Amino acid sequence: MHKRHKRFSRITGIIAAVAATSLALAGCSGGGSSGGAEGDPEKGALTFVYMGDADQQKAFNALFAEFNKQYPGIKLKAQGIPSGDWSVFSNTVATRLAGGQKIDIIQVATEGQRLFASKGVLEPLEPFIEQDQDYVDDYFADINPELVEFNEQFASGPDGETLFIPGGFNTMGLYLNKTVFEAAGVPIPEEGNWTWDEFEAAGTQIKEKTGAYLFGAGSGYFTDVMPWLTTNGASTFNDDWSEPTYDSPEAVESAEFVRKLVEEGLAPEPGGQFDAETQYKQGKLASIGGGRWPTIGMRNIDMVDDTVIVNFPTKTGNGSPVGWDAWNIAKKSENKQAAWTFIKFLMSQEAGEYFASIGGTIVPARTSVVESDAFTENAPAGSTRLSDAMAFATPIPSIDRGAEAQKAIQEAWETIITGNGDAADTLAKAQKTLEGLVE
Amino acid sequence: MTESTMLVRRPGAMLRRRRTEAAGWMFVSPALLLFLVFIAGPFAFAIVLALFKWDLLTDPQFIGFDNFAALFADPVLPQVLGNTFVFALASVVTHIVFGLLLAIAVNRVVSRTLNYFLRVAIFFPFLISWAAVSLLWKYVLDPTFGYVAQYGAVVGIDTPNFFTDPAWALPAIIVIDLWHTLGFTFIIMLAGLQTVPTELLEAARTDGANAWQTFWRVTLPLMSPTLFFATIITFIGAFQIFEPIQIITQGGPNDATKTIVMYLYERGFQAFDMGYAAAVAILVFVIVMGVTLLQFIGRRKWVHEA
Repeated sequence: MHKRHKRFSRITGIIAAVAATSLALAGCSGGGSSGGAEGDPEKGALTFVYMGDADQQKAFNALFAEFNKQYPGIKLKAQGIPSGDWSVFSNTVATRLAGGQKIDIIQVATEGQRLFASKGVLEPLEPFIEQDQDYVDDYFADINPELVEFNEQFASGPDGETLFIPGGFNTMGLYLNKTVFEAAGVPIPEEGNWTWDEFEAAGTQIKEKTGAYLFGAGSGYFTDVMPWLTTNGASTFNDDWSEPTYDSPEAVESAEFVRKLVEEGLAPEPGGQFDAETQYKQGKLASIGGGRWPTIGMRNIDMVDDTVIVNFPTKTGNGSPVGWDAWNIAKKSENKQAAWTFIKFLMSQEAGEYFASIGGTIVPARTSVVESDAFTENAPAGSTRLSDAMAFATPIPSIDRGAEAQKAIQEAWETIITGNGDAADTLAKAQKTLEGLVE
Repeated sequence: MTESTMLVRRPGAMLRRRRTEAAGWMFVSPALLLFLVFIAGPFAFAIVLALFKWDLLTDPQFIGFDNFAALFADPVLPQVLGNTFVFALASVVTHIVFGLLLAIAVNRVVSRTLNYFLRVAIFFPFLISWAAVSLLWKYVLDPTFGYVAQYGAVVGIDTPNFFTDPAWALPAIIVIDLWHTLGFTFIIMLAGLQTVPTELLEAARTDGANAWQTFWRVTLPLMSPTLFFATIITFIGAFQIFEPIQIITQGGPNDATKTIVMYLYERGFQAFDMGYAAAVAILVFVIVMGVTLLQFIGRRKWVHEA
């Protein structure tokens, strides 16, 4: 027995050694030692990954070309990952890191920040911030104070270290098709505020008069679930994301309300491939929910002037989820100083204006940019409401095991709005799953 | 052979044999290299990985056989395996039946132009990527704007919401898979059909056999090796179905379309539990290998071997 045990230990020892070697060869060992502030701030090669489809990449490329002009010694390799949602993006980046790809800067949205912060793969930024304290102070003085607070509260490292510099953000609003509203004789809400009941009544009248749908009901965590929860004082998790709250009576009420709108035919049945932009352009859809990103679509379909952005309708009070992009430096980066140079460039007024005018997918962090023409020109009326929404926004709860949580949240929502499950039962079941993910 | 002739002939024969062996290895080496790098290597890596707990971003921890033990206690696995077997069996049956029927029909078309056209038309969907096919069918089966719903409404049929109804989601994926992959089975069947010697068919006809008897007694037995091959290939392919499910339903609604490879992806790339995902991958290998072995054992009973 003793002999067998010894042989077994030897075999497992060999297997462990082989595995460790294989994993090391694959370059997957995480953690690693902090190298401090290395490299030349104006020389070296940098790999920057961000989420972006082909259209967005085209817009970003103009910004990167500008950076290269200013810093010809830094060879910037910017890679857009067309992931569709932030949890898929985070998974892709994690896989690339595990595969040994050298990435210096990762643009991470709220949905992935806790994941990367919890794994110890990012460099604390305090030394870099101290190096350029005045520059950073100037930036933080110009950005939305809630953004600074949220970033500190939800995106710090396990010991409170600063791992991210917040960039642009997104809240949720509703893009209203003025032509459809006028044809139905429904007034656009003054000051951008309206209630669930007013929204439903508007939808009924629009359907009667024009046959158009009021909105598209989906199950995207940020875009479809959170707006209805936050406008009813609910959320998926409590304030510090330590406990799920997805089965609260308010959450049940929110889901039932959306199901009711679908049942009434004010939204098409979810589950297929609903082309919202085309329907909107053709006057068959009265509104599209979104942050800043649908503005690009509105420009593409030439609907900017026919659109006004208003707040999401409310039950108990204004609400919106908010997520923000943030930049960091990977611990394994060999050009940390050059990476910091690039982050400083992204923090500049100039880059903010570029994001606002060309990128168009986010609300720039700098208030001065949001209030400038760069943000409001060639954009729907009411665009600044997206920035104002920060005052009542809830950071989208994104726990360490964010991808699994998001899946559970979305599946439950879809089950309810498609009429395949009772709201209270389905959310109670999802709540159990979420509880298992925060244990 | 005398001792002297052996002594004389042996060195030359050995040299020739060595040369032949060297040439053999040379010809085989590219395929062998690819096999080692892309199949044997990753497979060995998966076995090793299954002994670790690894979340991609931090160092792996050796946990022995815990991941394999966890397979037996996993409450999700039975449903996932059930879905996979239902899909694989439905896939094998529909592909073989429709592939064979189409091949027989096309084989009878005398016009060469029409024959080529039909072959291309039936095979064409197989050339389209799964991503495009999945999106296409999401449009086609959209409950409001899709063709099926629209035409259904015209004739008064209230079509279901295929991708969100747990009862319809898996059948919908089976139909989409049939549409996409049938061309491959069809081509194999057509090739098999053309190996049936015409003289045997003529002999059967001369003996007074009708079309059904000719098919049942002559064509089908001679096609059995082709059917055997198609069954194995289709089963293996179906058991590993992933792309349309990931794009269309993500395993929902209520896990109704969650197959074993979809689950493997979820555990590995959403839950970041790569060790457990590797254990699931090995389970997939064992099942596919087991079923294939059973098919090989059973072939003596029905496969006609010349």
